[in-house]
Amino acid sequence: MSAAAARDRTGWLAVPAVAYLGLAYAIPLAFLLARSVTGPDGFTLALFAKFFADPFSWRVIGNTLRIGLLTTLLCLAIGYPVALAMARSKGIVQVILLTAIILPLSIGVVVKAFAWQIVLRRDGVVSQALVASGIWSEPQRLLFTEGGLVVGAANVFLPFMILPIYSVVKLIDPRLTEAGATLGASPFYRFRKILLPLTLPGIISGVAFVFSMSVSMFVIPSLLIGDRFQMLATLTGRAFLLMRDEALGSTTAVVLLILALSIVVGSTWIAKRLGKSA
Amino acid sequence: MTSNTRSDGINRRTILAGFGAGTVASLGAPQILRAQTRELVVGGAASHKAWVETHVQPLFEKKYNAKLTFEGTRSLVNLEKMQKNKDRPYLSVVQMDDPVMILAVKEGLLDPLTAAKAPNLAKLKPGTVHMDGQWANYLQPWQGIAYNTNVIKEPPTSWADAWDPKYKGRIIIPSLQNTEGLANLFVASSIATGKPMAEAMRDTESGFKKLVSLKPNLLTVYNQMPQAFSLLEQGEAHMIVGALSSFALQRRLDGAPLGLAAPKEGIFPVPSGIAVVKGGPNADLAFAYVNELLGAEVQNKIAPPTFALPTNVDVPIPAGMPTNATMHTIDWAFVAENRNSWVQRWDREMSM
Repeated sequence: MSAAAARDRTGWLAVPAVAYLGLAYAIPLAFLLARSVTGPDGFTLALFAKFFADPFSWRVIGNTLRIGLLTTLLCLAIGYPVALAMARSKGIVQVILLTAIILPLSIGVVVKAFAWQIVLRRDGVVSQALVASGIWSEPQRLLFTEGGLVVGAANVFLPFMILPIYSVVKLIDPRLTEAGATLGASPFYRFRKILLPLTLPGIISGVAFVFSMSVSMFVIPSLLIGDRFQMLATLTGRAFLLMRDEALGSTTAVVLLILALSIVVGSTWIAKRLGKSA
Repeated sequence: MTSNTRSDGINRRTILAGFGAGTVASLGAPQILRAQTRELVVGGAASHKAWVETHVQPLFEKKYNAKLTFEGTRSLVNLEKMQKNKDRPYLSVVQMDDPVMILAVKEGLLDPLTAAKAPNLAKLKPGTVHMDGQWANYLQPWQGIAYNTNVIKEPPTSWADAWDPKYKGRIIIPSLQNTEGLANLFVASSIATGKPMAEAMRDTESGFKKLVSLKPNLLTVYNQMPQAFSLLEQGEAHMIVGALSSFALQRRLDGAPLGLAAPKEGIFPVPSGIAVVKGGPNADLAFAYVNELLGAEVQNKIAPPTFALPTNVDVPIPAGMPTNATMHTIDWAFVAENRNSWVQRWDREMSM
């Protein structure tokens, strides 16, 4: 048996996962898609036309995209330096950093939401620190604001930004930046011209993960901002669970799916292009 | 040749025979027992499991020589179970919120209660038997204003207190997607128009306009009750307007610094309905179970621990419950017709 044939056979290892995804994900998704384009007289796009004709729908889409974008940017801003530090650290420091990133994943969102409630309340540490530093003259509301939601969501999704970047940085030869330094390049120039382009695939993967999870989050907004702020996922949940409006629920779910899918496909395309040009 | 027979006369064959007989006995016994003891499956709220198992189950099982299984979940999940198993129902009784009962009635899932099948129907307070006996209320937890006693020393006296500017950013109300969220819509209408509550409940236009003016005072609109109470107990919120007695008074009993006021305009019942599933197993047992929950013996047991008002006229109001407050009756059929459009309007007008 040739090596190529042996390699081909390893593809069968994916069968259980593919079968599982087909049963648990693809089939229900197909039903959902079918429901969103079915009317009393058969195929129709009327549900989408109705949805997009409503200004409220655009507000919800705007909320979803804005929160997704802000959460992703915050995760990137915090996560990128952490990923660099982790990749360049050694021994026990690296273990501690990795544990600090991965361990919070085991804590449920509900627990985190209650924790944020304590941190962000008017007599909480953040508010007290802002008053003590003179930035605020008196404690103000931080809970149940868009800012609170973004901070809370970033807390949950941060590992999904750090880990892809970390795995890419680990593969970069540190001597490349050292060579730049010996040639007189400033730290900022070395970062912009050497490190950043090489870490772009990791950044794009992280952005795709965090953005797609942020736009489709359901429990986090319910707990951190309440019922006064609607995103596509919360609207979908409400349509199915409360209003029993399958038409609305399947329409919003498909819009959300297309949104998340285009981010993943778009970022994969960008990553491939960068890979070719690198 | 070695012998398989031991000195006590037990050989491999007798052991195998004994094992086989034991297996048959152990497998067969439950069937025999099941034939003697019928099972009743009741679908209800997860939070009801404790009092059902403590106060109702032993009494029912002994009295009727039956086994009671309580499946604790949410009202809408129970509805789903009834819909999906319509041809072969396995639930016999459901304990659900009244708005969900209406959906069940619309889909023909309930077997109406009659005085012949549940004699205690005759003992219920007016307004607690709905849609010609499709379901009845066995208890009435109530909605008032929960307040933090560390911050508010005098209990609020009116629902209108929520609009006081001194509570800017300190008020929590339930979402309209929660059953208890409807009270604020009706109260707002009554405050805005001065109409009696029964009339104001139909004027939701005025209710929405008044509710919008509450926005500056809102800390949040909850759909997760424990979180709302946590904020109240921490002092971040000062009042939960439209809070449930069953939750608030239990928290107070557990030592939380909060009180529950019954405002002068009256209080709202939180509909705890019970109904028999059409075509469900052991219909006679199902009606007997409903009759027990509507009866004085069970209501005397379950009203105090659930901080609810009894619906049976022979049962005294438990200590600590409001005795003189007006209890407003909600027209759930009217709610069912309009709720989705109200929720859609709520999303648009109450959003940040």
